[in-house]
Amino acid sequence: MRILLMGSPNVGKSAIFSRLTGTHVVASNYSGTTVEFTSGNLRLEKETAEIIDVPGSYTLEPTNAAEAVAVEMLKEGDIIINVLDATNLERNLNLTLQLLQTGKPMVVALNMWDEALEHGIDIDTDELEKQLGVPVVPTCAISGEGVKLLTERLGDAATIKPKTEPEDIWHRVGEIIDKVQHIEHRHPTAGQMLSHATVHPVIGPFIAAVVLFLSFAFVAYIGDWLHEEVMEEIFEFVWEPVTGWISAALGGEGFFHSVLIGELIEGEIDMNESFGLLTTGLFIPIAVILPFIFCFYFILSLLEDIGYLPRLGVLIDTLMHRMGLHGLSIVPMMLGLGCNVPGAMAGRILETRKERFIALTLVSICVPCMAQLAMVAGLLGEAGIIGLAVLFFTLVILWIALGISMKFLLKGETPEILVDIPPYRLPYWKSLLKKVYMRMMGFIREALPYVLLGVFAVQLLYTLGVIDLLDRFFTAPAQMLFGLPGEAVGPLLVGFLRKDVAVGMLAPLGLELRQLIVASVILVIYFPCAATFVVLFKEMGLRDLLKATAVMIVVVLVTGTGLNAILRIAGL
Amino acid sequence: MYKTLAELEKGEVGEVVGFDSGHMPCRRLESMGVRQGKTVTRVSSQLMGGPITISVDGRQTAMGRGIASKVKVKLLERENSGRMSQN
Repeated sequence: MRILLMGSPNVGKSAIFSRLTGTHVVASNYSGTTVEFTSGNLRLEKETAEIIDVPGSYTLEPTNAAEAVAVEMLKEGDIIINVLDATNLERNLNLTLQLLQTGKPMVVALNMWDEALEHGIDIDTDELEKQLGVPVVPTCAISGEGVKLLTERLGDAATIKPKTEPEDIWHRVGEIIDKVQHIEHRHPTAGQMLSHATVHPVIGPFIAAVVLFLSFAFVAYIGDWLHEEVMEEIFEFVWEPVTGWISAALGGEGFFHSVLIGELIEGEIDMNESFGLLTTGLFIPIAVILPFIFCFYFILSLLEDIGYLPRLGVLIDTLMHRMGLHGLSIVPMMLGLGCNVPGAMAGRILETRKERFIALTLVSICVPCMAQLAMVAGLLGEAGIIGLAVLFFTLVILWIALGISMKFLLKGETPEILVDIPPYRLPYWKSLLKKVYMRMMGFIREALPYVLLGVFAVQLLYTLGVIDLLDRFFTAPAQMLFGLPGEAVGPLLVGFLRKDVAVGMLAPLGLELRQLIVASVILVIYFPCAATFVVLFKEMGLRDLLKATAVMIVVVLVTGTGLNAILRIAGL
Repeated sequence: MYKTLAELEKGEVGEVVGFDSGHMPCRRLESMGVRQGKTVTRVSSQLMGGPITISVDGRQTAMGRGIASKVKVKLLERENSGRMSQN
């Protein structure tokens, strides 16, 4: 049996999902699309049912790819659990009535029941049940209240196919509301006042700056602490001895030794620089990057669940329109900071081809992923704040300039923002952690194979002498344009596979600060890593991908040359 | 007095009387609670032609000014909270 969890965005659907399912939850893409959904198992009395958290949708008349998937998935379900926001019944009933029309057995969960009571909203659930003809269960996903009853009443799921014409749905919604809902006026709560302040045209941006600063500080400090005090220790005391035995068993040299362990630095294994699959190949993704990824996704998911992101979208809308995008494009950008792969996937929330092209190109050029940031911060951070400051300043300027240019050069429309701003809510920790966990797993799945492949390729290409050959070939242009030595060409090439690995290769070259900055900037902005490229191809199609690639080549040549010249003049 | 939603001043309250065009954004507006007969309050607006925020049934929605200018409203008294509670 397959149960579909359906409802509008921001009704607490995912929290209900977390309550209903056990620990085994998987995220997958809907076939032929990049729209992701999560599914898990729900143990009922007689059987175990598959339960799917369908992407949120306001109506069954889709306006973007995610909503279209919701409609498609509807065909494959046996029972619908329609999750409604009790504080917002009227708006939600439109979808409920549309779902009833499909003739599928259905149960209604009236979620956020506690919040509705708090707001002075009184809903007669018995009457609502009578009006709709299907079971109605008040729930509060955060406390878990009503969730058990919801599963018990799945057996009563009824099939009603009312003869409401699509034009009459709103009329019918009005009728139902009159019969079941009574609202007592309450004064604005503290939450509502905070809500007003965060979209205030003057105070709002100020709050946003503080929120973003604190978020990055959290990622930088806690991430660094986890990296240095926890993961590095674990590697030093647990993993290093193991690799030491393997190294000794392999005799300390030879082909297998260079592939698995890498080069010994002064007779010892150096997790950062040895470059074997079992040393640097595991150390970079797990000990260096994962702590930052965890912190980043924790903060991002928290901001998401509290309900801050739509407000950020509203605040930044004006700037984004100058770049041919609207405010909600901040979502792919923010996700891209974690990993460009989900960032590029999130482009599907944008409606037009022009928007998607601009957003995806900007994500892949100007938004460094956390893996890269963690490595670059380690590399540039040694020389103080100046290197990182130049890097970020360059990226922001480039982001804006490139956005503005693409807006004028590309044909097509940019629709205006239209977004529901949910009230601030305390996150439900279990569904928050589940989300963080799934995003981390996503990173490991996307990144680990490529990191290992990257490290392997480095060893192979060095052994075969290919890197030396390319170095010699590209030394002149690299030196002339970017002021980089020939040895930096190898890392730049590896950057195509994995940028974090490439940054790791720059470390032992002993570059000057100017060269480090230029190399880091080039690594960030030129082609995204292989995994992102695959997603770009799926999202954009070949033609737009070729166009985006052309943009990338021009941008990297201009920026690399320009930055090198400017830094030289500045005396670095 | 009639205005469009975009022309509503901060704190002003209006009743939605209709849409300028029956196009997609309007369908979407309807499903987000902005419909004929609804009482809307202008909450705030971003500077330099940025989006405006309105409140319907105690719930906030933000939209670009182009969309807002397609929604016609009848001006009601300011901050008429008694009326809002009926919806």
